[in-house]
Amino acid sequence: MMIGRLIFQRRSLTSVCRYLSQCTPLASSPPPPAVKPEPLFLGFSPFSTISFQRHNSSFSFNIPGAVDRRCFSSQAVAEIPTGGIVDVPLAQTGEGIAECELLKWFVSEGDEVEEFQPLCEVQSDKATIEITSRYKGKVAQILYVPGDIVKVGETLLKMVVQESQVPTMTSNNSAGISMRSEDSKMNKDSTGGGLSTPAVRNLAKQYGVSISEIQGSGKDGRVLKEDVLKYAVQKGIVKDASNTTSSSVEEQFQGEESHPYLSAEAPGHYDDVKIPLRGFQRTMVKTMSMAAKVPHFHYVEEINCDSLVGLKTSFQTNNTEPGVKYTFLPLLIKALSMALSKYPMINSCFNEESLEVVLKGSHNIGIAMATPYGLVVPNIKNVQSLSIFEITKELSRLQQLALDNKLSPVDISGGTISLSNIGAIGGKYGAPIINLPEVAIIAIGRIQKVPQFDDEGNVYPVSIMTVNIGADHRVLDGATVARFCNEWKQFIEKPELLMLHMK
Amino acid sequence: MVIPQARNLHLSRMNLVRLKGLPILQQLHIEEKLLRASSENWCIMNDGTNDPTIVMGVSGKPAELLEIESVLRDQVPVIRRFTGGGTVIVDQSTVFVTFICGKDAVPGLQLYPRSIMSWSSLLYNKVFQGTGDFHLRENDYVFGSQKFGGNAQSITKNRWIHHTSFLWDYKVRNMAYLKNPKRAPEYRLARGHLDFICRLKDYMPRTIFVDKTVEAAGTEFSLRPIRLEEIETHYESEYRPSTSLLTEQELKSDIASEQELKSDIASEQELKAATASL
Repeated sequence: MMIGRLIFQRRSLTSVCRYLSQCTPLASSPPPPAVKPEPLFLGFSPFSTISFQRHNSSFSFNIPGAVDRRCFSSQAVAEIPTGGIVDVPLAQTGEGIAECELLKWFVSEGDEVEEFQPLCEVQSDKATIEITSRYKGKVAQILYVPGDIVKVGETLLKMVVQESQVPTMTSNNSAGISMRSEDSKMNKDSTGGGLSTPAVRNLAKQYGVSISEIQGSGKDGRVLKEDVLKYAVQKGIVKDASNTTSSSVEEQFQGEESHPYLSAEAPGHYDDVKIPLRGFQRTMVKTMSMAAKVPHFHYVEEINCDSLVGLKTSFQTNNTEPGVKYTFLPLLIKALSMALSKYPMINSCFNEESLEVVLKGSHNIGIAMATPYGLVVPNIKNVQSLSIFEITKELSRLQQLALDNKLSPVDISGGTISLSNIGAIGGKYGAPIINLPEVAIIAIGRIQKVPQFDDEGNVYPVSIMTVNIGADHRVLDGATVARFCNEWKQFIEKPELLMLHMK
Repeated sequence: MVIPQARNLHLSRMNLVRLKGLPILQQLHIEEKLLRASSENWCIMNDGTNDPTIVMGVSGKPAELLEIESVLRDQVPVIRRFTGGGTVIVDQSTVFVTFICGKDAVPGLQLYPRSIMSWSSLLYNKVFQGTGDFHLRENDYVFGSQKFGGNAQSITKNRWIHHTSFLWDYKVRNMAYLKNPKRAPEYRLARGHLDFICRLKDYMPRTIFVDKTVEAAGTEFSLRPIRLEEIETHYESEYRPSTSLLTEQELKSDIASEQELKSDIASEQELKAATASL
């Protein structure tokens, strides 16, 4: 009887145990994939997790899945057996990346692993990324093989770790660890986490862009003003993002804003108008004052442009590139470079203090441009190495930048000789002033059709361009300039000679 | 003149290696070695490689990505590189620019693919400013909606590499060796190669592009020119790169396995159809 009772008691005990295990099935088996516990919080109560987040002020509450799963974190805590096996997931590796391909393992089951030791390599889109271990421990079970596609958040492997381990979060995370969420859902739920300053958020609001969509380039993924501007440009909200760079060009001119030329008309009034000189205009005052101290001489010559006109027409007729406009200037520039190769003294810089002339290796030919912001002389670098087509392209690029007031400091510095195509506006020729520290400048007048006499006394039309070369008489003498000009003239009048020197 | 030099004190040092016509396999071997065995920052520029070569990403499957019969017939070399990303065919008209950096080289830069990609686009913004509507689109450099530069990366614990191949020019017939990839950026919109890509030479002279890139890098790093020979002597490590040239055998076996797979799928479908009709 007693035995029977005992047996009965034992049975009921077992059945109670079984009942309990059935009641809490999740305690003994891993949770279904949708409810994967966030292993960051394993071993910690929800409260300590939240306080941990707060310690890291650079991280917001945007933990991937954490908010969603916070309600399950207690369950996750309850699941940890005392042995301390943790699930190591594929953590966030970048905005919008939902899955990666596992490429290779660096560890095997049973291996001891140090904190930050590389565990495996994965590939997402364009990048291969090393995933490193957050914990020191032992690899218990590997769940994927190379070639498998792993979704972000899925467990890659299981590790046995010491329960007392505190996962250290360094702000400069190794690739496998990310407290910073780029899950767009989470960002939308957050109410202004620590990812941008109020001023930047305001700017984003002005442009009508969501700060959560912008990839931050600042510390810890902070969204900076430049990021917002760039994003707005990409979205077509802002026409050009180079307001910042044009202001840096202004800084070159003592940080003042450049104003467009004011017209001389005062509507209906005849009062005096005061125009403060800023930007390019202000610079012009300084540079011209210095240039005026240089003893100039001027050499004038007429150049027959019949061949030039014919060549330009030929380029235009056989133009295979849409949007490319052929003008005389690239031809003149290339011919100039050819002549400079023979007369390098013209392509030099004079140093007053040391009484030295530096013969410049590159032909950086400056082209004076009249823009709404003033006179500016950007230069085409290394013309000696460029084809006429490349010069055409580069000239067009510089012209566009000049009109938009977006020339960089590099574009306008380093010139070795300047060309002023004043003829484009009008005039027979000008008497140009040197652009220091160069030693020569060439003003080109308009090409005009004029009558000439041939040997028999008959009149025939010819296209003539008058040029005026201004030169620094401290360095150059008349004979050198005259010979140089003859060389240049020859290339313009007989452009086929350019082919003779073509490389 | 003092100010630019003073700025340099705060910029990370970067070794600049300028190459021309170096075979792409050799370039990739050097890059992999520098990523893994060096602790310095590097900028490698290779102005054109030699022969036309196909370069696939680390997990590229030739049968999926290439017209293998044509590739084998014309004996076009196929390389599998160590970084991720897609497939390109490169030749003398491709300009390569690579940045290999330690984690602290760019202050505040997070070692994630998107962060590095964004940083690179800011650098190239300086190069292309004012030219042809340049921007980073998904993971490509484009003018408008046409790609002219493709990117690939590898990120390790403490270092990263971001390398780009720029389509200075290309031959239409070379593109015929590449299939339309299954994984393509959204903005591609099912366009074939020739409608999707464009030539950098239509936008900027080659020397100017190279010079401006060096200049842009110089605004972010303090550049120190290094010759190729110095790398080869200094880093003679036993490290074996994973970038490799695929053998004819490997390419052929890939066709075979692809065909097997296709016939498996076909039979499975037949079986399904047969059972469905029952």
